[in-house]
Amino acid sequence: MESLAKEQIIKDLLPQKFGKAGKIWVGILLAFCTLGVIAYILQLKNGLVVTAMRDYVSWGIYISNFVFFVAISLVGSLITAVLRLTQAKWSTPLTRIAEIIAVSAITFASIIIVVDMGRPDRFYNLFIHGRLQSPIVWDVIVITTYFFVSILLLYFPLLPDMAIMMQRKDQTGMLWLNKLYAYLGKFWKNTAAQIHISEKAINILSITIIPVAFAIHTVTSWLFATTYRPGWDSTNFGAYFISGAFLVGAGAVVVAMFVFRKAYHLENYIKDDHFDKMGKVLVLLALLYLYFNVNEFLVPAFKMKKSEEEHLMGLFTGEFAYVFWFAISTAMLIPIFILIQKKGRKPLPAFIAGLLVVIGSWFKRYLIVTPTLLHPFLPMHDVPESYKHYFPTWQEWAIAMGSLAGALLVVTFFARIFPIIPIQETITEMEGHEMSHKNV
Amino acid sequence: MKKHSKIFFTAILLQLLAITAFSQAEKNNLSLSISYFNSNNHIQYLVAHAKSKIDGKFKMIPNINLSFYIGTEDAANLLGKAVTNDKGDALIFIPPNAKEEWKKSSKVSFVIVSQKTKEFDEAKGNVDITKAKIQIDTLADKKITATLLELKDTVWTPVKAVDVKFAIKRLDADLNVAETPTYATDSLGVASADFKRDSLPGDSKGNLTLIAKVEDNDSYGNLSSEKIVPWGKSIKYYTEFDKRTLFAKRGKSPIWLELLAYSIVIAVWGVLIYLIGQIKKMKKLGLN
Repeated sequence: MESLAKEQIIKDLLPQKFGKAGKIWVGILLAFCTLGVIAYILQLKNGLVVTAMRDYVSWGIYISNFVFFVAISLVGSLITAVLRLTQAKWSTPLTRIAEIIAVSAITFASIIIVVDMGRPDRFYNLFIHGRLQSPIVWDVIVITTYFFVSILLLYFPLLPDMAIMMQRKDQTGMLWLNKLYAYLGKFWKNTAAQIHISEKAINILSITIIPVAFAIHTVTSWLFATTYRPGWDSTNFGAYFISGAFLVGAGAVVVAMFVFRKAYHLENYIKDDHFDKMGKVLVLLALLYLYFNVNEFLVPAFKMKKSEEEHLMGLFTGEFAYVFWFAISTAMLIPIFILIQKKGRKPLPAFIAGLLVVIGSWFKRYLIVTPTLLHPFLPMHDVPESYKHYFPTWQEWAIAMGSLAGALLVVTFFARIFPIIPIQETITEMEGHEMSHKNV
Repeated sequence: MKKHSKIFFTAILLQLLAITAFSQAEKNNLSLSISYFNSNNHIQYLVAHAKSKIDGKFKMIPNINLSFYIGTEDAANLLGKAVTNDKGDALIFIPPNAKEEWKKSSKVSFVIVSQKTKEFDEAKGNVDITKAKIQIDTLADKKITATLLELKDTVWTPVKAVDVKFAIKRLDADLNVAETPTYATDSLGVASADFKRDSLPGDSKGNLTLIAKVEDNDSYGNLSSEKIVPWGKSIKYYTEFDKRTLFAKRGKSPIWLELLAYSIVIAVWGVLIYLIGQIKKMKKLGLN
């Protein structure tokens, strides 16, 4: 009975070939990526002049996208590390989803930074002439570190699953996949010594990733906060960014949970209870982020310093008011309203709330970057009127959307190649559960 | 028909007149003026100013080519040429080859002529000055005196009732030596002031540079004379240039920052390298 259940779990969780919907999905993502690549080739050929970025707004949607990717990558530490260390066993089926989102997001965060450079061929100068005093260098260091920590955190729990997949070569159906599994995990024999080392490593990584994850987002916030500008000149920024990152990351996990559950029929593994619990987590995080937003906007608005007035009024009632209130509503208010109710934490409404969080959070990052650049303390003289406004060109949109599609493509292909829910951990937990039942 | 052709030709005529009037109105008048400077009685130079009234406001005009002459506008009297900067100013030093013309009289005229441009017609400006000099000196009790003399024929004669400014040269502007900014010369051409700026930071030896000057005088232009006195406070200047600071170049970051950053990097990457070692260990265990 037990082995039958075990076989069933393996059968359910082994990677599956793309169905018709999966192929269409991949096709759409590839189309977006291709368009992004074409736009980037044009940008490389003609320079950053093809973008709408000028002397005022030198960080447009590329950097907004970068901040968004960095934020969403924080979810790896939330689900994998925080919930693992707090012994929240219910999060087991979500850990790999969270980790692959983290790896994919941090990869594209690095790529989009290179895209933002006018001369990417000079990227090496950052290493040759980079100053340790600059937050940009700290960002390069923490992003690289976080990437490796996330890769290791993805790799260690995958080892037992790769052994399982190698035992079922016939089911994978592709020779190169079997070769890949063999290359990555042929040595895994599920011995007590190997399990001990792996568990120890995962625990070490779970502890290590938390300060690294906090560092990556704090340093990203310092890229802004160490610059003396209205809207960025804040001591609140590190905590503000981290809370926002946790929120968007958790929102992304809820969306991914729903999609994978539907696409791969994982109702027995990603249960309604997972949505209920993640819904509660989302409410908590949305309230926390709302609190930081109140601090970030209400306190300066109460003082309304002359130099910050234009920036704040631009957000509240001016040029950016629609985007501002849209972001506040979709990233925080509406999801809180949906998820605070028990029926709102059912899979579909939770998915909608998660999607709103992700969309609202993208616009929130845009609002952090752009309006501030349009309102410096010392305005420039004799610049063309067009420099004082910013709306991305089609090339910027194409590249930004292409990078988002690229990140989704990485997650999609990962789910095609590896089990999106840890097989061995699920089996171990089920066995442990049954043992405890027998003992009772 | 005749009536129509009359109206037609009148309209054409009016149109041509309007175009002519408009094309004439397009050019604004350029106003040129010159200031004469004599610094420490041996460096003499001229500063020309170009401005024009555009849309009811005076604007400084850059990029105007100016020719400077001494005496009259003859090629032989050309002192030099200069182009106005963004502030509408152009400067030239009076060259040694103007010595003969300079010596001719105790009064000298300077003329500037601008080249015709698309925006402006040719314009001229001139200034007449009487040769004069100012001598600064100090007495006991930190008293400063300045003697103003003008050249009459071949004799230097004191000038009375001219305002002299006494100041201390600072980095951006001059600081008056006392509350009163200017002092008039007496019948001996002498003006005096008391130095009231005690404990003013000087150089490493406590030296200050005093300056006596006559500004924008109709007859003498701008005259100034300087003297260094040890009346300031000795200051040892400390520069952080090329030291380990947050704003220094690469490789010059503060030690505390390097220690902090590198220890974090070493600690975290030490853990990662250890874990890669653990993978190798697992490989060994599995493949043996």
